[in-house]
Amino acid sequence: MQTFGIKIEGLSKRYGTGDTAVDALKDVNMTVAPGEVVGLIGPSGSGKSTLLKCLGAVIEPTAGRMTLGDEVIFDDAWRISDLRALRRDKIGFVFQAPYLIPFLDVTDNVALLPMLAGQPNAASRSRALELLTALDVAHRAKAQPSELSGGEQQRVAIARALVNQPPVILADEPTAPLDSERALSVMRILNRMAQQYRTAVIVVTHDEKIMPTFKRIYHIRDGRTHEEVGEGKSL
Amino acid sequence: MKFSIPVPASGSALVRSRGFWLSVLLLALLLAFGVIVARSGPLAPTRVTVAKVGEGAITPALFGIGTIEARRAYLIGPTTAGRVLRVLVDVGDRVKAGQLLAEMDPVDLDERITALDASLARAGNAVTASEAQRRDAEARNQLAGINARRYKDLGDKKFVSSSAVEAKLQEEISARAGLNAAEANLSAARQDTLRLGAERDGLRQQRGNVRLLAPSDGVITARDAEPGSTVVAGQAVLRLIEPASLWVKTRFDQGRSAGLALGLPAEIALRSDPARALSGKVVRVDLLSDSVTEERIAQIAFDTLPEGISLGELAEVTLKLPTIEAKFLVPNASIKRRGEQVGVWVHRSGAAHFVVVKPGKASLGGQVEIVDGLGEGDQVIVHSEREITADSRLKVVESLAGAGK
Amino acid sequence: MINLAGRDILHSWGKFAFTGIGLGLLIGATLTMAGVYRGMVDDAKVLLTNSGADLWVVQKDTLGPYAESSSLHDDVYRSILGMPGVAQAANVTYLTMQVRRGDNDVRAMVVGFEPGQPGEPGYLTAGRQITRSHYEAVADVKTGFQLGERIKIRRHEYTVVGLTRRMVSSGGDPMVFIPLKDAQEAQFLKDNDAILNERARTAANPGLNRPGVPGLLEAIQASQASNRNVNAVLVRVRDGETPDEVAAGIRRWKHLQAYTRAQMEEILVAKLIATSAKQIGMFLVILAIVSAAIVAFIIYTMTLGKIREIAVLKLIGTRSRTIAGMILQQALGLGLIGFVVGKIAATFWAPAFPKYVLLETGDALRGFIAVMLICALASTLAIRAALRVDPATAIGG
Repeated sequence: MQTFGIKIEGLSKRYGTGDTAVDALKDVNMTVAPGEVVGLIGPSGSGKSTLLKCLGAVIEPTAGRMTLGDEVIFDDAWRISDLRALRRDKIGFVFQAPYLIPFLDVTDNVALLPMLAGQPNAASRSRALELLTALDVAHRAKAQPSELSGGEQQRVAIARALVNQPPVILADEPTAPLDSERALSVMRILNRMAQQYRTAVIVVTHDEKIMPTFKRIYHIRDGRTHEEVGEGKSL
Repeated sequence: MKFSIPVPASGSALVRSRGFWLSVLLLALLLAFGVIVARSGPLAPTRVTVAKVGEGAITPALFGIGTIEARRAYLIGPTTAGRVLRVLVDVGDRVKAGQLLAEMDPVDLDERITALDASLARAGNAVTASEAQRRDAEARNQLAGINARRYKDLGDKKFVSSSAVEAKLQEEISARAGLNAAEANLSAARQDTLRLGAERDGLRQQRGNVRLLAPSDGVITARDAEPGSTVVAGQAVLRLIEPASLWVKTRFDQGRSAGLALGLPAEIALRSDPARALSGKVVRVDLLSDSVTEERIAQIAFDTLPEGISLGELAEVTLKLPTIEAKFLVPNASIKRRGEQVGVWVHRSGAAHFVVVKPGKASLGGQVEIVDGLGEGDQVIVHSEREITADSRLKVVESLAGAGK
Repeated sequence: MINLAGRDILHSWGKFAFTGIGLGLLIGATLTMAGVYRGMVDDAKVLLTNSGADLWVVQKDTLGPYAESSSLHDDVYRSILGMPGVAQAANVTYLTMQVRRGDNDVRAMVVGFEPGQPGEPGYLTAGRQITRSHYEAVADVKTGFQLGERIKIRRHEYTVVGLTRRMVSSGGDPMVFIPLKDAQEAQFLKDNDAILNERARTAANPGLNRPGVPGLLEAIQASQASNRNVNAVLVRVRDGETPDEVAAGIRRWKHLQAYTRAQMEEILVAKLIATSAKQIGMFLVILAIVSAAIVAFIIYTMTLGKIREIAVLKLIGTRSRTIAGMILQQALGLGLIGFVVGKIAATFWAPAFPKYVLLETGDALRGFIAVMLICALASTLAIRAALRVDPATAIGG
């Protein structure tokens, strides 16, 4: 378990060179404390996906510094050699759609990463079951993803993101396809999980329904961010 | 694709149901695969049928193909070249011995006979004349003799001169010579008569040969020359056979003719009527075999001559040899040759062993007597799917009929 | 450790099995094709083995009696019997012709043989060997004849007294064994019209039809109507002698050629079958390429259908080689299913072919290795596509 969440200083991302260069991110600063759920809001094309990809270590920023916990992972260049391991162990992803592996059952979907990493299957599965129970979908543990409702699938996806107890969870429009009741339910879960496991959660969204739930919001426009205090409505 | 089994509550049961059944299916598939490889193809054991060595009686038999021929067949033809004058019978006619069948053109034979008759008559007259001359010479001889004795007497008494006596003695000698001459003439005339008589008899005989007579009772089988055609000596004008003398000239493979002997009973099946079983027996075994076709020849006579058979017809002849009691009998399909040895494969304790045997007589039905090499209770391998070797894996079955490729 | 390939197969097992069966039929066809070639070679070998001979003596300068027609006088065997090292020498005739049974006829190779000599059928599957000197036959089961049936060869009817198996000519035609003399007659004797025509021609020839020589014409016509030729003499060599030496001795006769077993095999396999072998070889290559292409296509399509999952897997931290391994295992699994299905299918439908199809285990093993290699190679296309997937695409917008 990490002590500090995630800290980003002066992050920039430039696509292309010369006259056709595009600055997707310009000097972005962001801090998320462990256990905190912040929102990242911006119109399409504002660079929020780019920021998420940088945070998720799938694209390389041009400049800046990223710190995960107490480890500097990027300082004008990647400081970690195995980015994939980083993603597996330190970052959890929740997507717009659940993106569960269709040929694995619910438990194995959640337990996949630890099992692939070489951990014993039984231990991985019991850990998965714990999370499923916490997320209230344990009764679907043996089902195939296609048998689950949208909300159940999303919860399983969240469980998958949490299985390795990552210090950071990046959620990309997690409530977009859901109705307000379900959306709030997801946010409730995220908040609870964040607090329980001391995970820093960044939620990229433009869903009006959940915006009141954030205590802090980062607005992003044209590659720049500025912080705002949210409503912090209790769930 | 979804399984339609209900999702059970407990976790491990689900894993077992889908994965388990599919593994079972795969295992069954692999098992079928293995079974197929073991059962068919080159790895499979060879299927064979076996038979216990039997005991019993077999009737060996000889089999040959024969043609119906006539024991006695005659070629009727002239003894000299000539022209056919008339033919009095046709194919199929029954004739009696001595019957006139055909006649050749006598040409000038009749005229020559007439000429000889005339010469003969003249010779007879010549004999008469010679006889008269002889009588005359005899009379003169007698007279000359008497005269000679008288004059001799007179000469002795000196009544006549000695020259007169010599003259009369000489007359006597002359008369005697004349008598001898006349006697000789007479003999000559008589012999002439004989000669001419013989010549005439000869021509008569020739005239007789021009008439072709049937040498015996029989049936005409061929009419080879029509009136007006010229034939040479030895060519047939008609062919005649004695129908009662029809027999089957049968050929037997030399290699399979052991036991061929006079008097063996025969079953004859004619090509024209194979269902009718005719019986006969061997009446002659030819001393001369055919060395080109490697066959022995025997003549089989019918017990009762069937009707409606024709010369040259083919017949299948089976001769039954005396039945023998065989101690060990095997089907001939079990006899195999390995290199130079003849033997059988004996099925002992699940494997095949080649045992050299000495085969004896065999029946036409395929049973072979084993003289030496097998014991009681031995099981021989009769039929097999493929060639058997000492280390073939065997599987005994009831029958192999319908075996695949 | 979890096996992703296995789970994917289990999940869509129907699709997999279906694809596997389809691929299996293709592989079965390939195996069968190889079996056809092996069958042809085996036909040739079996022909040589079944004759029971160590040497084949034929007309000089011919490749006979199977590859080319050869004609010898039927008394030549006597002089061969007298040569040193010869244990048995026997005449045989071979003629491929139609054998009639009822209303239909069957193409068969009619073999004339002497009982107890090389050339007779070595083993029977039913009935007995021929005991009569004429008009009995032993037939191969491939003719469809049954025991006791009457069949017609040229002008005579024969009774089938025995059945054999795998007695075929090098062309795959089943054999029918009849006594040598009958076979000589069958080979030579023409139909009645031709015979009458021949007789009329001879009778019209004044040199042959002389009135002054009675019986001459009949004698000439009789000699025309007989056949004293055979196609080959089969020789069995004495134990302990080498066939090559005995063959060399026979070749010194000016008008004869003698082949050993090895030479006959070469003639049959190298010369007779060579063209067919090339055809089959080319076809096998095409089938292999087609199979590879199909496997590549199937695996590629299956992978493309999982692109999103692959992107997600890569994003959440799955190793590239795990993903590549999954694709490879699926390809190999498909190949395995296909091979098993193909081998079973080939084994089932091989006996239905008109000619002998020999499925050797060696060929099956080689086929298996080839299928696995092809599947592995074919999967590289899909693996390359999978590895190129950018995990960032999982994050939309």
